[in-house]
Amino acid sequence: MNSRDATVIGYLAVLAAGITLQAVSIRRPDRLPSLGRVLANVMQTRTGRVGVVVAWAWVGLHFFAR
Amino acid sequence: MINMTSSGSGRRLEAWPDLRRDGRRAAGTRPHQSAQLRQRVAKSLPVNTSGEGKFSVVTDVGEAADNPSVAQPSAAPPSLGQAAAAGLRQPIVAILLLIALFTTVSGKPLDGFLMLAVATMLISDAARSRRQAARGGSGASPSATTSATSPATSHQRGPRRLLAGAARLAAGALYCVIVGSFRRYSWPATASVVVFGCLMIAIGWQGPLPRRRPLTGEPLRRAWLWAVVLVSGGLLELASLLQQPHLTTDSYAHPTISALTDPVLASFPGRSAVLGGWLLAGWYVVSR
Repeated sequence: MNSRDATVIGYLAVLAAGITLQAVSIRRPDRLPSLGRVLANVMQTRTGRVGVVVAWAWVGLHFFAR
Repeated sequence: MINMTSSGSGRRLEAWPDLRRDGRRAAGTRPHQSAQLRQRVAKSLPVNTSGEGKFSVVTDVGEAADNPSVAQPSAAPPSLGQAAAAGLRQPIVAILLLIALFTTVSGKPLDGFLMLAVATMLISDAARSRRQAARGGSGASPSATTSATSPATSHQRGPRRLLAGAARLAAGALYCVIVGSFRRYSWPATASVVVFGCLMIAIGWQGPLPRRRPLTGEPLRRAWLWAVVLVSGGLLELASLLQQPHLTTDSYAHPTISALTDPVLASFPGRSAVLGGWLLAGWYVVSR
């Protein structure tokens, strides 16, 4: 396994961890919040809301704009 | 946050602890005294009255939750420097400034400039709110101080709602097809994404604060697991970026996420599909 494979496996592991957390949060919402609930909680203040929307906008800029 | 609705025979009053206290006190009073209390609360708040017997009041205390000085005005207003420093200490501002730094040094000055601009506006907004609060104002900017829910929109149902949804879907699909046809990093693609992104940021800035029950108890204690996942992804991306031969040159051995997605984004269908996902995520975020 070369370093490229290790890097890609690292990204996939992070993705898998996110999917697992989301699946667990759907099964046990009383124990673990879903990503949507965490975002909603963060977005209850203006700063949090703007921060999350900016993070979303940054993704588009990062991939398409220069 | 205060929500007061009146519709037909149903009547509901929800308030923060001080008003709940008032409500409990009122429960032990006579009916005309209870009505006086409701009138006092309604008069002290901006109320949207459009519709028959229905009104809704939503006030923003999100800033007060962030900043205790908003809720408890102090005698001497802080200096501009102190207020700006308080804004600078907000974690999201720090994150935006870090993103601005790293995107600029990795050859994307436009991203960096926009992040820096938003961080500066957030600092300015927080400083203004802090100074206003210290002078005895509400501390929240006028754009988000109140957000009244119009009965006309909250009760938008049936064909009108379907039509609006279909129109948004068609506009989104058209955007994906048109912008997806532009070459990546070309000026039309850049302009389209920048304009749309700024529009959504403006909507997010002005938009109503979501009225949801905050996380408490065990779900709140375990929310850090999501932070671990997001920070791990960010650190992995940063490690790959720093191991490139140059910050603006991709590495085969240590690919960043954008390097891995290059093959997908090289084609028109791939760009359109990714743009579609981006728009859906934006819609989801703004509607929270």
